[in-house]
Amino acid sequence: MMSEIDALKVQLESLQSEALAAFAAAENPAALQQLRVHYLGKKGALTEVLKGVGRLPPEARPVIGQYVNDTKAVLAGALERGEAELAVRAKAIRIQAERIDITLPGRKAAAGGLHPVQQGLDEMTEIFSQMGFAIAEGPEIEDEFHNFDALNIPPEHPARAMHDTFFIKDMLNEAGTEPMLLRTHTSPVQIRAMKRFLSESGEPPLAVVAPGRVYRCDYDVTHSPMFHQVEVFKVDRNVSMAHLKGVLRHFLSAYFEKDVGIRLRPHYFPFTEPSAEVDISCVFCASKGCRICKGSGWIEVLGSGMIHPNVLRAVGIDSSEFSGFAFGLGVERLVMLKQGIPDLRLFFENDVRFLRKMGGTR
Amino acid sequence: MKIPFSWLKAYVPLTSTPEQIAADLVRLGHEVEGVELPRAGVKGVRVGLILSKRPHPDADKLSLLQLDIGEAEPLAIVCGASNMGEGDKVPVATIGTSLPNGLKIKKGKIRGETSCGMCCSETELGLAEDASGLLILPADAPVGMEVGEFLALEEAVFDLSITPNRGDCMNARGLARDLAADAGLPFTDVVQADVVTSADVVAPVVAVAAGEDCPVYLARRIDGVKVTDSPAWMQAALLMAGMRPVNGIVDVLNYLMLTMGQPMHAFDADCLAGDVSVRTANDGEPFAALDGRNLSLRAGDLVVSDANGVLALAGIMGSLPSGVTDQTVNIMLESAFFRPARISETRRSYAMVSEASMRFERGVDPLMVAVAMNQATAMICDLYGGVAGAVTACGDAAAVNAGVEVHCRISRIESRLGITIPPATDEVLARMGFGISRQDDQLHVVVPPFRHDISIPEDLSEEYARVIGFDAIPAILPPLAATMPVQKSRFIHDAVAGGFLQVVSYAFISADEQRLFVADDGMDIALANPISDAMSVMRRSAWPGLLNVARHNLNRQQPGVALVEQGRTYARSDRGHDENSVLAWLVTGEMEQDEWYGTARSADFFDLKGAVEAWLSVRGLSGRFVADDAIQGLQAGQSAKILVGRSEVGRIGRVDADIAARFDIDAPVFVAEMALDLLPAAKPAKFAPLPEFPGVERDLVFLFERGCSSDAILDAVRSAAGKLLTEARIFDLYDGKGVPDGKVSLGIRFVLQDGSRTLTQEDSDAASTAIIAAMQKRFDAPLR
Repeated sequence: MMSEIDALKVQLESLQSEALAAFAAAENPAALQQLRVHYLGKKGALTEVLKGVGRLPPEARPVIGQYVNDTKAVLAGALERGEAELAVRAKAIRIQAERIDITLPGRKAAAGGLHPVQQGLDEMTEIFSQMGFAIAEGPEIEDEFHNFDALNIPPEHPARAMHDTFFIKDMLNEAGTEPMLLRTHTSPVQIRAMKRFLSESGEPPLAVVAPGRVYRCDYDVTHSPMFHQVEVFKVDRNVSMAHLKGVLRHFLSAYFEKDVGIRLRPHYFPFTEPSAEVDISCVFCASKGCRICKGSGWIEVLGSGMIHPNVLRAVGIDSSEFSGFAFGLGVERLVMLKQGIPDLRLFFENDVRFLRKMGGTR
Repeated sequence: MKIPFSWLKAYVPLTSTPEQIAADLVRLGHEVEGVELPRAGVKGVRVGLILSKRPHPDADKLSLLQLDIGEAEPLAIVCGASNMGEGDKVPVATIGTSLPNGLKIKKGKIRGETSCGMCCSETELGLAEDASGLLILPADAPVGMEVGEFLALEEAVFDLSITPNRGDCMNARGLARDLAADAGLPFTDVVQADVVTSADVVAPVVAVAAGEDCPVYLARRIDGVKVTDSPAWMQAALLMAGMRPVNGIVDVLNYLMLTMGQPMHAFDADCLAGDVSVRTANDGEPFAALDGRNLSLRAGDLVVSDANGVLALAGIMGSLPSGVTDQTVNIMLESAFFRPARISETRRSYAMVSEASMRFERGVDPLMVAVAMNQATAMICDLYGGVAGAVTACGDAAAVNAGVEVHCRISRIESRLGITIPPATDEVLARMGFGISRQDDQLHVVVPPFRHDISIPEDLSEEYARVIGFDAIPAILPPLAATMPVQKSRFIHDAVAGGFLQVVSYAFISADEQRLFVADDGMDIALANPISDAMSVMRRSAWPGLLNVARHNLNRQQPGVALVEQGRTYARSDRGHDENSVLAWLVTGEMEQDEWYGTARSADFFDLKGAVEAWLSVRGLSGRFVADDAIQGLQAGQSAKILVGRSEVGRIGRVDADIAARFDIDAPVFVAEMALDLLPAAKPAKFAPLPEFPGVERDLVFLFERGCSSDAILDAVRSAAGKLLTEARIFDLYDGKGVPDGKVSLGIRFVLQDGSRTLTQEDSDAASTAIIAAMQKRFDAPLR
């Protein structure tokens, strides 16, 4: 009897090693499935062995039954592992087949961008707006009153010659006395904003930032007949030059995103008294002296001053009670300094290669 | 204006370096545009004696020189000039010298011959703009001496830009006074020159009829002068100050104007007829100006005249015939004070500018009128002989701009500047000529007559500020009230987000370009003084500007461009003029290029229409595009008005091919323009509940006559499908094989959805049937 059990055992063992070898050799899940049927199916090899168990004496059956079950468990486990292995291998093959060249360029999205002058205008007005200055605009075709007279530049004043003014052909002011012109600076917005503000609110304080296009009849390497300015002014009781300096330093540091030193130099503008040209410490060489600052460590950036009492008077503000500061900055100039643009003409040439390089989509 | 350092030192014993003086000038409000250092600029250039000269063996135009420059061994130099000979003394730039033109002298070989330096011309020394040949030095020049020293070159020349309010500083004397006061150094003013006069020379008879415009007028004859060139030192000094020598008399007057500030004029006395009169011109009076122009004067112009007519536009320019020449024997000198506003107005009206008018219109020192006259007389008699007569003097110089006083509280100035003013600054201002007294907070200032720019307390605040120094003012942020945050204009930002590059072009275009898109209705705004014809008319459309930008870029190998501009357009109106805000687009050329994932595609109408639709949709608006064949400059059949609600807010279309060709563009160009002022305000999106039940999507394909508008077709679909319809669109358009000529196959996809239930087959069948019927009825379009 023992020999029959032994024979079955041997048979089972050889079946198991044969099956395991076959499983290991299977190359795909289908082959494995076939092997499962062949060994473990209803008519499979193991079932065949089980048939032989009936011939054994009853006391031997559980022993062999145990053997058969063990073998079955081994084979089922091996099949499961084999399937998992094959799945992993199949996935690896698929992944290999699906490899792409990720260094190919991405699909191009249409790349737009803001003109660098626009970016500058946006940044500047935003800084002043955050500081509490209200935004105002004015007409570009102006009359002499707003562009000159109200700003304390009477007709015979030599300063009018410093503004190379474009005049409009056959168009007179409301009074029909003087030709209209293209504003030479954003300062007329001072007058218009103050007048409007006073009619609405009665009296200062007021703090205004006025961005816009201005025109000078001057066209060469460093001059464009059209450019952009931002006018900033504040009128209140006890406004002092120290406040002017404070606002300038805050603005310039915010715009250049670094702590810039500022230097005021006495100058002359008809609409301010005192007047000052404003220099910033050279942002290129940290004031060591370079080509941009011509070795001085300073770069002139804008004109400023305390609003002349005649200007306040022109809009009906009592200059013995109120004072104010004002300054006007050239947008192109500051953008050139900040972004290292060497030539003013690049702004108006609108070469898309330049615009793409400088363009920000904010 | 250029002022040599030595001229300042004549008035004040300055010991600082030129750099320090420049910094002081800047601090005092006098802009220094540059500092030239003529002497330092030629350091290393020495006087050399030519010992021998022989031709270069290998070059016809070169000579080999042996020069003695005071060293043990003579120098060998190869020289290209030809105007020198043995025994001449010339400037020799030695090895290591840097010349003003940037040339660095190195030892070298020229065609095989060693050259140990360079002989210099005046140009190379920075003394003249052009020169032919070497500068030959006088025979007494000490060999080996620094040439800069021998020629007594200026240590420094300040190039200044004097602000218009400081006429008193348009000369060395005024600047020196500011510097002396600031540094606390003594100021040595010009002393009145002694002039010997002769009773034999008649005093001119002068009548000043325009006393308000000419409060002081001095005239004197000097007879028997021999006009030669001015002495070399004066010519050199004038050149150094940037003025060309003219003749002996004019040079003296220019020299005194630059040093003392008073412009004077000399007439050829033999050209004068009868008495001299200072009066206003008669309307139409002729005047032959020194600059060659023949003017017809206007009543109100201030002139100096004689019995025959106008001798000078007072303070601006003399007449050509009455000017001093080499032949002049007798002269009449004029020194005067003219009212600044008068000079400025006249000068501007004739677009004239002269060194004299620049000073008169800013205001000269009335007390220098007589001093300068005497100084000029003394110099002229000294240099060119001649006998001076008595001065005819009209008006009282001491009364001009005299007694201007300013009273105010010191605290008011302090509050304007944001600093306290130390009493010591009063002394600086006193040295500048102000009469200052203080009592507690009260300030009392007498303004000197040469300061025409000071009349109110604010003017004084500037004087205090520049004396104390702007650096002393602290930087303090003022209290600022929070303002309403201003909604930033998103117009341009949304447009560039759609893939367009923003451009900024000039607001003025050519009249021809204006006519391309706008009819000549007389509403153009033209410039009276344009820079060029190409920039002469204020634009009424942004399209010409965009076309120019497109041309610029297509000429630079860009396969295509997508541009957008925000700006104003300008036109005359009932109110005078309008400035309208517009947003304008342009696309042309390749929208997409050949790529590994696809092939190139050229821009068409629908690229731009899509961009405009997207831009409108961001603001919660939708536009209707209504075909319009009559838009100037656009191609019929590819152009449309854009309506939002009932108002026309824009235009879109293909630029006429002939117009595009004018801008050298062959490819189709599409443009659009949106009037931003007419656009309704952006609508904030309103919430609607999301559908809970799925929608049903169906496709139907019909055969339409070519020419049917898809807007009309979709409108008909919408009304036929009923209220369950949530979307209807053209998903396919085909007119190729299988579609009869004159027909087009359109695929319409529609979606039905109900918020309260899942739709059934019956629902979509009903809608389909209704749509099919509608297409048949409206368009005679069968299902395909």
